[in-house]
Amino acid sequence: MAPVEAPVGTHRPRPLRQRILGTDTLLPYWLLLPSVLYLVLFFVIPLSQAIVVAFQDGAGNWTLENFPKLRRWDFNFLPALKWTFLLALVIVPLQLVTALLIALLVNTRFRGSQLFLYVCAVPLGLSDLAAGLIWYGIFADRGFLNSLLYTLGLIDAPITILTPDERWWLFGAVVVAEHWRATAIVLVVLVAGLQMISKDYLESAEVLGANRWQRLWYVVLPLLRPSLQAALIIRTIFAFEIFAVVLALAGDFLPVLAERAYNWYFFRQNLRFASVYAVIILAISLIFTVLYLVFLRVREEERR
Amino acid sequence: MKGYKRIGLLIALLGLTAALGVPGDSLQAQPPRIVWVSTQLVPIQEAEFVRNEILKPFTEETGIEVEFIGAQYGELFTRLEGEARAGQGSTDLVGGLQGDFVGIAQFMDDVSDVLAGLGDRTFAAGDLQLGTLGGIQAFIPWMRATYLMMANKQALEYLPEGADLNALTYEQLVAWGQALQEATGEPKLGIPAGPRSLLHRFVHGYAYPSFTGSTVKRFLSDEAVTMWEFLRDELWPQVHPAVATADAMDTLLLEGTVWVAWDHSARLKQAPVERPEDFVAFPAPAGPYGRGFINILAGLGIPKTAPNRDAAAQLIEYLTRPETQVKILQGVGFFPSVEEAAGATPPGALKVLAEGVSAQASASDALPALIPGGLGPRGGDFGAIYRDTFIRIVINGEDIPTVLRQQGELLQELFQETGAACPLPDPADEQPCSVEGL
Repeated sequence: MAPVEAPVGTHRPRPLRQRILGTDTLLPYWLLLPSVLYLVLFFVIPLSQAIVVAFQDGAGNWTLENFPKLRRWDFNFLPALKWTFLLALVIVPLQLVTALLIALLVNTRFRGSQLFLYVCAVPLGLSDLAAGLIWYGIFADRGFLNSLLYTLGLIDAPITILTPDERWWLFGAVVVAEHWRATAIVLVVLVAGLQMISKDYLESAEVLGANRWQRLWYVVLPLLRPSLQAALIIRTIFAFEIFAVVLALAGDFLPVLAERAYNWYFFRQNLRFASVYAVIILAISLIFTVLYLVFLRVREEERR
Repeated sequence: MKGYKRIGLLIALLGLTAALGVPGDSLQAQPPRIVWVSTQLVPIQEAEFVRNEILKPFTEETGIEVEFIGAQYGELFTRLEGEARAGQGSTDLVGGLQGDFVGIAQFMDDVSDVLAGLGDRTFAAGDLQLGTLGGIQAFIPWMRATYLMMANKQALEYLPEGADLNALTYEQLVAWGQALQEATGEPKLGIPAGPRSLLHRFVHGYAYPSFTGSTVKRFLSDEAVTMWEFLRDELWPQVHPAVATADAMDTLLLEGTVWVAWDHSARLKQAPVERPEDFVAFPAPAGPYGRGFINILAGLGIPKTAPNRDAAAQLIEYLTRPETQVKILQGVGFFPSVEEAAGATPPGALKVLAEGVSAQASASDALPALIPGGLGPRGGDFGAIYRDTFIRIVINGEDIPTVLRQQGELLQELFQETGAACPLPDPADEQPCSVEGL
């Protein structure tokens, strides 16, 4: 039996997909729907609730009172602002430089560079609390660092590094731990960015006589700007949310904003003050994101 | 012979029925089923322990079935209030913290007669005093938890001359710390100061009562200023800096980082559990006003509307037997309220702790302090005020009078807003509590 061919020009029913989802132009929106729903449910709604709570008093009237009140009830408010900013100020540039160096190194495709990249990315898979505890095990009185120094005969008795009497030591310990833990995310973004840079540009530059340094400065870095922007935004926002590493290494002797919010929410059961802190973190993150978008603006022709 | 036995049993049953006042046909009388509502031992594992290890033998012995119901304070209150209003109830026995009984004392029956029947057991006078609420014996002390000291036995040889471990003063503790620092080259005392530590309990329930005879009222008194100078200049230099991130002292004791430490009994327990021969527990030190310590006391009481009062009294008798109390200590870690039980504890970690707890509760200069009730969800704020004060003065080195005034204002605000009464050793009838000198 010969197959029956549909005569040309007759009306065929639209595919099932089209009938359910509408025309193809609507499809992207349907695909976006789940993530939009997720964002609304777990970010937008709680966020708006937090903002409302932060600007209302117990009776539901709008007020700014919660901010001075929080300052009175929490002597760590200003120190938390100070330490959070200082940590971000030191950690983010440090991570950017380290990640860039490692990314450039990986991009030379030396033997074993992929393995090297994976090893560098290991901390990505760790929770920040786990990372904090690992470094606590290193810096503690009877931790690995003291044991090592003692074995090498450099010290007679353990040095107490994690002590509230030396806030800058606590600061340094957090910087080291956070640097180890969170550089990988910047690294991954930059490696991806580097691999997208077409070899043609570099070859042209080489033909025109640019040396290694000039190629980096005038070709690679400008082309990497979109990736740098993305990495900086991600890392800076995370830097202002720094939490578990500080908690593990410094307790509340190095107060930071997210730790304060957590403390007020879980231990003091004070949703209002926790929300005030959340709003402050949100405001800072927004300001920095806008700053990055403005100052690291990616021109249209740089986009691919 | 067999017949006599049967008749005896019948008479016993009749007697029991008469005594319990169970209505209905006396010949068909069954032992009553009683209801015990408790705010303590509520977590599933603990409740299972109570049902299987504690109540099952009781039922085998007496024939009385017990329904054990775990409840939050709010549920307990609503239940008793409803039963009181209805004039009849189903709750026969109530187990709760001293603070719980303060709130429900109005529904409780006087249990002096039950207490009188427990003549072979010694309760601490302070505990019985705490059980006296609204002019009646509202509860009988059942079990306790507390915070106390623990030392590595290595440290004992450095104890200052003439110092008695069970009657230590804060001055002697500092002298001891100095001797230890001279001998070992580093501070050897431990007071937990990590973010989830119980440092605030040390400040409001131990230091403040011992040095000022008060927790809230004399918060910024001259005695308090002297105390803070002492804590900052004398005591803290003897405390090992590693405590800053430590939430429990057992780890530091086991490591040997500290040799003498203060903490909650549950947070010290692991040290003697691992090496029972190496550690000794003893009472917290005393200051000019006495030996301030927090007595977390749980009690047993009978509501006025209890349908089976005698069976409930039988259960109280059973629960306060030294052997039952030891069982509770072993099963869930609450310490006995009956002095005889400390001696009945088998050797090991728990005996080490039980002896210290018992010595602290029955010290001649004991000055029991309480965690204030009535603060509701703002209990966290109360603790934080004391912790923050400690950190600002002792660790950050801020000016004492300034800090005390600022923190004192917060304390005042907290009690005004919640309307909570003063916690012992401040006068418990002052409500809301207020800070002197503001």
